[in-house]
Amino acid sequence: MSDIIRREEFGEVVILHITTTSVDAVSAAAISTEYTAMRPITVLDFREVSFINSAGISALLKFVVSARKSGYKLFAMHVSPHHQKIFKMVEMSRFMPTIDERDLAEYR
Amino acid sequence: MHRVELNIPSQPIFERVVRASAAEVGAAFGFSDERVEDLKLAISEAVNNAIDHGNRGEISKLVAVVFEIDGDKLEIRISDQGQGLEQFNPTRHVVDEQNLEQGQLRGFGMYLISELVDDYEVTSSQKGTVLTLRLYRRETQP
Repeated sequence: MSDIIRREEFGEVVILHITTTSVDAVSAAAISTEYTAMRPITVLDFREVSFINSAGISALLKFVVSARKSGYKLFAMHVSPHHQKIFKMVEMSRFMPTIDERDLAEYR
Repeated sequence: MHRVELNIPSQPIFERVVRASAAEVGAAFGFSDERVEDLKLAISEAVNNAIDHGNRGEISKLVAVVFEIDGDKLEIRISDQGQGLEQFNPTRHVVDEQNLEQGQLRGFGMYLISELVDDYEVTSSQKGTVLTLRLYRRETQP
């Protein structure tokens, strides 16, 4: 686990808190390797993220591919309105829908 | 007319410098926060294209970025020192099952640029490629 992701796990759920502000070409490689930390319900937390570009989206797609292969559910949390727009534009939201923090409470 | 010019080495970390400058120029131009984010993303994609596909990651080759504010128009020219590109593909490129199955996880950059700016043009020769982005000030901004 790199210092770019902070892991929080309970039951079958893991929340991967992205701690970098930029999900871009610089951070993409470190982020993309973290898909090995996935659990049956995996949530990527974008609270700290202020910028995502296509290099970052490519890194996030590694999680999508892994989730599909494993039959895991993948969600995004604390996605800014701008990033929701971009995710919708490239149809990322179809494969990584957003989830509300309170909806995770039932798993705790 | 106001003009800001930057030259960066072909390393991704310096794309962040351009992006930070874009945020300041966009704010100075009077863009809303949302349009500043659009501007930052479009320029980020253009600069990364110039680094990766134009200069092919050769650090000694520079990417030049010129911002020009002219009335209600903001024009940004991103130039590389590569040998020119044969084609650009701005067609709609989204995540779909087929791409995921085939491991095609890249290639969203030009599509995003085409969606986020008002207009753009590409000129390419053996001396390099210039991508020009234009955004206009609107009375009502998203």
